Amino acid sequence: MHQYDFLDIAATAVQRARKLGGDEVEAFLSFARELLVEVRDGAVETLKQAEDRGLGVRVIAGGRLGFAFTTDLSAGGLAEATGQAVENARQAAPDGYQRLPDPAGDYPELELEDPLIRTTPIEEKIELARRMEEAARAADRRVRIIETATYQDSETEVTVVNSRGLVATTRVTRCGLYVALVAGSGEEAYTGFALDYRLRYADLDPEALGREAAARAVCMLGARPVGTRRVPVVLDPYVAASFLGVLAPAFSAEAVQKGRSLFAGRLGQTVAAAGVTVIDDGALEGGVASGPFDGEGVPTRRKVLIDNGRLAGFLYHTYSAARDRVDSTGNAVRASFKSIPEVGTTNFYLEPGPYSPEELMADLQEGFYLTDVIGMHTANPISGDFSLGAAGLWISGGQPARPVRGVAVAGNLMELLRDVEGVGRDLRFFGSRGAPTVRVARLTVSGR
Amino acid sequence: MERDLLQEVLYAALGHGGDFADVFVEYRRVTGIGCEDGKVERVQSGVDAGAGVRVVFGDSTAYAYTNDLSREGLLKAAQVVAHATREGKKGLEIDLRRVHPVVEFVIEERPEEVPAEAKAEAVRAADRAARAVSGRVRQVMVTYGDVVQKVIMANSRGNYVEDERIRTRFTVQAVAAEGNVIQTGFEAVGAFSGFELLRRRPPEDVARAAARRADAQLDARPAPSGRMPVVLSHEAGGTMVHEACGHGLEADLVQKGLSVYAGRKGEQVAAASITVLDDPTIPDKYGSYRFDDEGVPARPVVLIKEGVLVDYLYDRLAASKDERASNGHGRRESYQHKPIPRMANTYIAPGRDDPEKIVREAKRGLLVKKMGGGQVNTTTGDFVFDVAEGYLIEDGDVGPLVRGATLTGNGPEVLRTVEMVGNDLGFTIGTCGKDGQGVPVSDAQPTLLVRELIVGGTTGRVERRGEPRIRRL
Repeated sequence: MHQYDFLDIAATAVQRARKLGGDEVEAFLSFARELLVEVRDGAVETLKQAEDRGLGVRVIAGGRLGFAFTTDLSAGGLAEATGQAVENARQAAPDGYQRLPDPAGDYPELELEDPLIRTTPIEEKIELARRMEEAARAADRRVRIIETATYQDSETEVTVVNSRGLVATTRVTRCGLYVALVAGSGEEAYTGFALDYRLRYADLDPEALGREAAARAVCMLGARPVGTRRVPVVLDPYVAASFLGVLAPAFSAEAVQKGRSLFAGRLGQTVAAAGVTVIDDGALEGGVASGPFDGEGVPTRRKVLIDNGRLAGFLYHTYSAARDRVDSTGNAVRASFKSIPEVGTTNFYLEPGPYSPEELMADLQEGFYLTDVIGMHTANPISGDFSLGAAGLWISGGQPARPVRGVAVAGNLMELLRDVEGVGRDLRFFGSRGAPTVRVARLTVSGR
Repeated sequence: MERDLLQEVLYAALGHGGDFADVFVEYRRVTGIGCEDGKVERVQSGVDAGAGVRVVFGDSTAYAYTNDLSREGLLKAAQVVAHATREGKKGLEIDLRRVHPVVEFVIEERPEEVPAEAKAEAVRAADRAARAVSGRVRQVMVTYGDVVQKVIMANSRGNYVEDERIRTRFTVQAVAAEGNVIQTGFEAVGAFSGFELLRRRPPEDVARAAARRADAQLDARPAPSGRMPVVLSHEAGGTMVHEACGHGLEADLVQKGLSVYAGRKGEQVAAASITVLDDPTIPDKYGSYRFDDEGVPARPVVLIKEGVLVDYLYDRLAASKDERASNGHGRRESYQHKPIPRMANTYIAPGRDDPEKIVREAKRGLLVKKMGGGQVNTTTGDFVFDVAEGYLIEDGDVGPLVRGATLTGNGPEVLRTVEMVGNDLGFTIGTCGKDGQGVPVSDAQPTLLVRELIVGGTTGRVERRGEPRIRRL
């Protein structure tokens, strides 16, 4: 897919940095090809095609960590990046736990490449976005603006080589659809969206996504605030997955070690209601974050983080694992070749429970079915406090009855976990995060 | 890079026609230092170089980028966009001429000339200062970052621009704990400047502000909830104006009908005391620039004048749709992105009221001294933002510190119901995200009295009779 010999470049970088004084050296190379199509009103608004490559060099010298990256893969570029990495290490504090992983035994075997993503002509991919847009418009005549109907795919090759003899290479293709729209009548307007990312081209269903986005917007028309009160709250899968996203950093062993996890000191304790099981699985079949190894070449695997309410484990990369004298869980995540691997989640989800979404609402005389939040990124993952702009449907007599917007919901993540009363069976992934519908005993809804 | 080569690339991009083509070449050198646990843990640097080529034809945009900056690499990207182009004029003549900036910024200490030891020492000094504030400070995270971005921009209108942007940023997050209660405090400074940023605002100052905030939050009471008067102090920064009206004034959202401000030019959209500007030419602000990322010279833009909507923020594409000129607000995160209309330094102009009088006039409610992050739904104008430091106002006086509050409201409604505007002004910095692109911005406002906002707090629970008081983790 490109003209570079990644293994050769990586080996050269490792050797060079060793010569400059690195005790341990790692070279991480990536090459990515990306396609993005944005359709609006049947026409292509943006067609973006790209190629992106680069090298990241990590050096440990005397226990000090240094890192440098470059997009210049020539001999000169390599020389500068390796030199900088060694130079940067001099400024860091020595830390006896800094180390690189040893070569791994076996990597999980995963199907990560779909030839259809590579061979399908662009015209057909554009058509996919068009079909999604048409389905959204056809779903309800109150859909009045399509903000964007987007098709996206990528092909990525990654190589990790380190001075302990680790050599790992993988290739993955991914594709996805995203639609955002506005429904309205008269002065009133509300937004709706839907998205789906997959490893397989054939799994994309543009019509279903178009209809879903339309339904999300249309059901909110006529929404009004409610008075301030504490009520049971049912989170739809997207909102539940968003909450899970805020909780993700708390599962990092590094966050625990540094006193910035709300799960610190809680291992083995009950931190959530029975029925709450949280999984991270870097080797999940079909998962968009799946891969044979993590950002430093360690094999990925499935971990149970919360087991039926009990805190069962944390996520580790090589450094945090050395600090706790355990094995890395394969959770070194790199945003790109430009960054040092950090502890992060892969395919991260709440396991489905026994209930249908309807069953979770059936016995509620009054409640709030939360389908849209804004400001989730302002929730505090260290204290657990959150307060969000919210919209959804007011539940009355066991059913969603009328739309509500312009209210705020506030609480604390730890209380939210303990207050879970039921978990739905409708697990859905939004990219690499997934959750089913979740019912929570009560939250403060502030409004009029 | 040769001007002739860029001309060749532009001709190649327009090979199948097109109304407009441009090329954006970027060479970015960054340094980052991170300190946690009292140790400098991460020292990193790197070079990211690449180019983006664009052709606009009708309402469509074809975009390609590469980090192969050889002639072959650039021409290949140009051919990719040419191939995607389906219509448009043919035979455009291109004659590249250098455009000169309207403003100049002075960089006193270029980051690449400052020894790495000095940067690492600034980070260590901040760590020590934060820890010295209180025994309850348990963790401190300090980051230093600088960016030297060299850009060359050329387009089919014949504009050729060379520019350099240098930005420095310094942040401190402190975690304070007592018993089971954990609270955080954050402070950030950033500017279009070099290392002199840390002479103007010493690292120790930034650190102490963050640590004091975290420490004080431990003793704060939970915020009330419900509708109440809110005073937004000038120190709180401009998150409100950024979210509540800035995004809605971006021309692309306006044209798509995704803004509450669409079609309202010339109308009274805010109280007569409200004037809103976006000015990228202010020296030393985090969102400043000499040229935007389409080579248009920066200029101040008045968006709302005495309550009347007078203009939107434009890039070239949105401007051509409205048959007017861009006002220099087309920005992109990097060569990997097409430019879109963005804010730079957005602020509400100072008014006449004495800030202390504003608190007295409010009588009761919430005084916001520091805002956190925020988000807006531009279609409805509904916004939410985090209160990082807030106090109750009781009988016209500043009362106790409260925690866990957010403000929820509707942008246009808030701007219509501002009752008093202070004679002060305070800036904060941020990275603004839109369409997956982050760009550096700053925003500001004077002290404002808003008659009613929804405060989302958690007091509903702890004040209930008979229920145990639950300590927050």
